Amino acid sequence: MIPPVVADAITYASALSLLGCGITIIYMCTRTFNFAHASMCTWGFYIAYACVALVGGSPYTYYPLSFLLGAFLGAVCYFTINRPLLKRKVSEITLMMSTLGYDLVLFSMILMFCDYLTLNYKLSPRMVVFSTYDFKVAGVRAATYISLVLAIASITAIHLFLTKTKFGVALRATVENPDLAAVVGIDPDKVYLASWLIGGGLASLGGAVLAMTMTGTPVMGMEAIVAMFASSILGGLYSAYGGALGGFVVGITEYLGSYLLAGWLGPWVLTYRIVIPLIIMVIALFFFPRGLAGIPWSKLLGLARRSSGSGGERR
Amino acid sequence: MSFLKPVKEKWAELKTRVAESWGRLVERYRILAYLPRADVLACLFVFICLAWLGAAKGAVIVVNILVTFALFLIITLSLNLEVGLTGIPQFGRVLAVIAGAFIVGGLAGRLVALMLGMEAGLYYAHHMYNYRIVDAINRILEHNVALSMGIFIMYLVLAALSGAVFGWLTSRPAIRLREAYLGISLLAFGDVMMWIGNNWWPLVGGTNAVHIPDPFRWAGDYRFYVITVVILAIALGVFVLVERLSRSPFGRTLRMMRDCELAAQVYGRDIVRVRTLSLVVGSAVAAIGGALYAIYVGTCTAMSYTRLTWTFWPWAYMMLGGIGSNVGVVLGVLVFTIIRTLIFIYRFELKYLPGWPPWLDPVYLEYTFCGLALILIVLFRPYGLVPEKPVSTLPHEQIEEMLKKVKEKASSP
Repeated sequence: MIPPVVADAITYASALSLLGCGITIIYMCTRTFNFAHASMCTWGFYIAYACVALVGGSPYTYYPLSFLLGAFLGAVCYFTINRPLLKRKVSEITLMMSTLGYDLVLFSMILMFCDYLTLNYKLSPRMVVFSTYDFKVAGVRAATYISLVLAIASITAIHLFLTKTKFGVALRATVENPDLAAVVGIDPDKVYLASWLIGGGLASLGGAVLAMTMTGTPVMGMEAIVAMFASSILGGLYSAYGGALGGFVVGITEYLGSYLLAGWLGPWVLTYRIVIPLIIMVIALFFFPRGLAGIPWSKLLGLARRSSGSGGERR
Repeated sequence: MSFLKPVKEKWAELKTRVAESWGRLVERYRILAYLPRADVLACLFVFICLAWLGAAKGAVIVVNILVTFALFLIITLSLNLEVGLTGIPQFGRVLAVIAGAFIVGGLAGRLVALMLGMEAGLYYAHHMYNYRIVDAINRILEHNVALSMGIFIMYLVLAALSGAVFGWLTSRPAIRLREAYLGISLLAFGDVMMWIGNNWWPLVGGTNAVHIPDPFRWAGDYRFYVITVVILAIALGVFVLVERLSRSPFGRTLRMMRDCELAAQVYGRDIVRVRTLSLVVGSAVAAIGGALYAIYVGTCTAMSYTRLTWTFWPWAYMMLGGIGSNVGVVLGVLVFTIIRTLIFIYRFELKYLPGWPPWLDPVYLEYTFCGLALILIVLFRPYGLVPEKPVSTLPHEQIEEMLKKVKEKASSP
């Protein structure tokens, strides 16, 4: 029997690891820090919610749909906004601002979609407790197991993709050195598109998982985006595994840390939960700016084995 | 596609004919040559909209637009100083705005209460006492213009000081970090400040608004107009300040550092000092903007200082106007403010248009429009309406003379 707080913390951390991993993949391939992750995440939740409310069934059956929608949104962003800018070799800040514009457009579409659901189907999508659609396994909500399995499965799939397939190796090569990869005949366009597909899909999937612990609102993604950024920065921004691991660390510390502190100092601590990811981020930036993936773990553990398969370290 | 050929020919012919007649028109009326420029079109749009709104909805709307314009102009100019001139990705503009607003709501209000011998402790901000205390203060201030103005100046000075302090604090990471890392950390700082204000009620009342002793109560019914004029004057002052700064040696150092940090270092500029100074000045100006907003509204609610309104809108204004160009920023803020007001005013007319989908509330179009504008600017007009120009420090004639002298020297060895 897992205490409910721990169960919630696991769900939250798994969702953050999916989201952080998505941000990291997009950033390491295209140098774009994706602000649109907020609204992509919220869209993933709303499409799952609409299907559950209108068609019925368990939320988990619609997770693949969430992933597909996110991948679609990512592809749209890539083709309309990101590709022309990448070709012009604009600065990171300009890339960020362009995704911010995309985020605002998606956000307005979420609001319209909410009104559409309210007016046509008499739903109340502005405030959704998604976990009411959940079922329990051995006294614990199924979201705990499923989110954890999903997060681990996604990381494993990404790992297999990056190390075992030819295209995955090509993607890593492009991350390491885009010019050299182009010389060898790798089409950077395909790599960038793949990163947006995977990153966007993970964003929406993460949103659908995140709604299991948060109240689903149109600003859900915007509220969680600081934690998402903290996860990917803690992960070091240049390794997909780092992003996922960072998500777990941030999620668990934020949830359990605030809970433990509240037991120690008093319940007022709970309202300052959002400060914890910030503190983690500041510590990460000042003491190990290359993130968890940049720490020489193998040296620390006394292993001489050369770490292989990591996303690579780029200066 | 051979069947399209005659159509294409017709189209080309039509285009040349239109161009010819346009050329003839321009020859007759020289001023028309300026028309196709984006900045001139934007100015025209501004004038037509202001005249239309003034005629159709009354002068109050125009005054309202001017206040919003002036407030956001102050904040966007400060953003332009940090982003456009210094090259810091300031995604935490809201932090300095909050620094100004909270100091007015939390500290300056208490100082006034202390001065007038009222409750100024922790419970000043409690929602059960605050409105009574502030009401009593306001009744005193109503008849005392000198005291009111003194309090107003104290507000501004305190706001600038607290903005400078927060600017210095944010300059610490700004020295070490670059690009995306820095932008994200600044964004997170701003968010956290808002949550602290929302949760810790002794600061600015938490979820309830804290009222602010009103330094313009003496103006009675004309308060709205007086405060508009004051804010506009301060905005003008800020514009002159930032424009002068960007033409000074300091501003040129900032530009040099933005374009090539190595070159700036080679020429002996202290990067750390210059970056810090720019952040301190910019944050102080933004804090004054935040304080003016709080004074104008009369209350200070933590949750109204979101990053969307106080960071991302100013970014959009600045990018529309032209990053690094102060005149462009003025135009960008004006155009965006007018469009947002237009959407807000005409939302019901839009909503009851025949065929308008009932689930599409026009208020959301604000976000759609702003997002699309950002994307389109980035894609098609990356330098904005009024692109940044190299600043000339000396009068043009003097430079010409110097050039002539140099050329003479070169030609006669």
